[in-house]
Amino acid sequence: MKLLSDTAVLLQKELRAEFRSHELLTTASIFILIVIVLFSFTFDPTTAESKQFGPGLLWLAFLFSASLMLQPSFLKEKTNDTLSALRLAVGDPFAIFLAKLCANTIFLLVTELILLLVFGVFFNIAVMPVFWKLAFVFFLGSLGVSTTGTALSAVSSQARMREVLLPILLLPLLVPVLIPSAEATRALFEPDHALRWDWLGILIAFDVVFLTALWLFGEYLLEE
Amino acid sequence: MTKTAVYTLLVCVLMGLSAYAAFYVAPTEVTMGLVQRIFYLHAPSGMTSLAAFLVSFVGSVMYLLTRKPRWDWLAVSSAEVGVAFCTVVLLTGPIWAHPAWGVWWAWDARLTSTLVLWLLYVAFLILRTMMEDDDRRAVVSAFFGVFAFLDVPLVYGSIWWWRTQHPQPVVFTSAGLDPTMRKVFYLSWLSLLCLMALLIRQRYELEASREELRMLEQELEAR
Amino acid sequence: MKNLDSVFAAYLIGWGVFFVFSLTVAKRAASLKKELAQLKERLQDSARQGK
Repeated sequence: MKLLSDTAVLLQKELRAEFRSHELLTTASIFILIVIVLFSFTFDPTTAESKQFGPGLLWLAFLFSASLMLQPSFLKEKTNDTLSALRLAVGDPFAIFLAKLCANTIFLLVTELILLLVFGVFFNIAVMPVFWKLAFVFFLGSLGVSTTGTALSAVSSQARMREVLLPILLLPLLVPVLIPSAEATRALFEPDHALRWDWLGILIAFDVVFLTALWLFGEYLLEE
Repeated sequence: MTKTAVYTLLVCVLMGLSAYAAFYVAPTEVTMGLVQRIFYLHAPSGMTSLAAFLVSFVGSVMYLLTRKPRWDWLAVSSAEVGVAFCTVVLLTGPIWAHPAWGVWWAWDARLTSTLVLWLLYVAFLILRTMMEDDDRRAVVSAFFGVFAFLDVPLVYGSIWWWRTQHPQPVVFTSAGLDPTMRKVFYLSWLSLLCLMALLIRQRYELEASREELRMLEQELEAR
Repeated sequence: MKNLDSVFAAYLIGWGVFFVFSLTVAKRAASLKKELAQLKERLQDSARQGK
């Protein structure tokens, strides 16, 4: 229970810091928007084509922005060495990871849902009828992205060339998130709006595996 | 003769034998013809690279638990050897695909998964070059090694589901593969596993002498 | 004997990769050994001077 209360306090801290400055949310939203606009020049943006390529494009934009957005997650603790203070403050170091990854999931999900509406308008795809199902798929995908991304931001923050290193480490690891998320999203744009549980199963497996691994091994990343 | 020399000779003989068996003993496959003989290098290399990554995973986990540098040496050595075997899979795959399917790369499930695996472990090796402090590098890269290996079944599962165009795996089913073919396949795999052990050992020794060098430097500085 | 050259090429390239890998490791090991020998010499020298 100490873990949960610690996490709640730290999560509040992360959210308050972000909602005061809006730095991450604005830059990430604009970044995804730029990627979507640039991508639409590379194919014929009719509704039929967009339904074919849109979901993959959308998820690629999400992953690229996540690999940039998650960078400061641990880096900002490094600049003032607040990490050691955090470690002293909590009982279980996993609380630090849990708070950060919950915050990152929320940030990712918010930007993704905003951009989903823009995407729907741009490519004339009706997203509103399946909004909640899409939100569910996006949640499972974002949870996987932010679990691995938060952990790897702790990894890359300790190395040289960290700006390039994080995408190099993170993106190949996220192949099992990209494929099921894009496919499940595409299935929701089909006329029958079916939730594809085979794809969602892979996503859930990914989330469970890496949450467990982070819980077991995460604390080693935080030692001095 | 030293032990290493004897073992090296043994591996060379095994490799030569398995190549001889692949070229002359194994029967020619009916539909794909001669080019199918690449299978005896291609498929066992893939399985050997997985074995090497498994060893690397064990090394990473054991390092995190015990903090003995030896486990870190094992992890990096077998990751490098695994990448070498992966490279062989990725190079021989297109050589096989071109005469058989008419294209160099068909985005088939297993070859594509191998490519993702290769990228993952190259990222692991790049990460190691980006850190100076030996202990931090060992901890951090061990953590990434655990993540990378846990990703393997998920990569295979998702890419498999996404696309299956390959001849189905017939190695472990009782029917399907001709008995002589199976024997040749297992001989090739055995020879590659022995080669893997040899290469990991060689790479491990390198890490060991690096440690020796570091100790000597410290001693010199202390004077 | 169609495609025999492909099989040969595959084996040549495959074995080539293993050989080159082993060679680079051996090369790195050799330069390390050299450095080690030099250091040992310097250690002995400084030990002699210390006496």
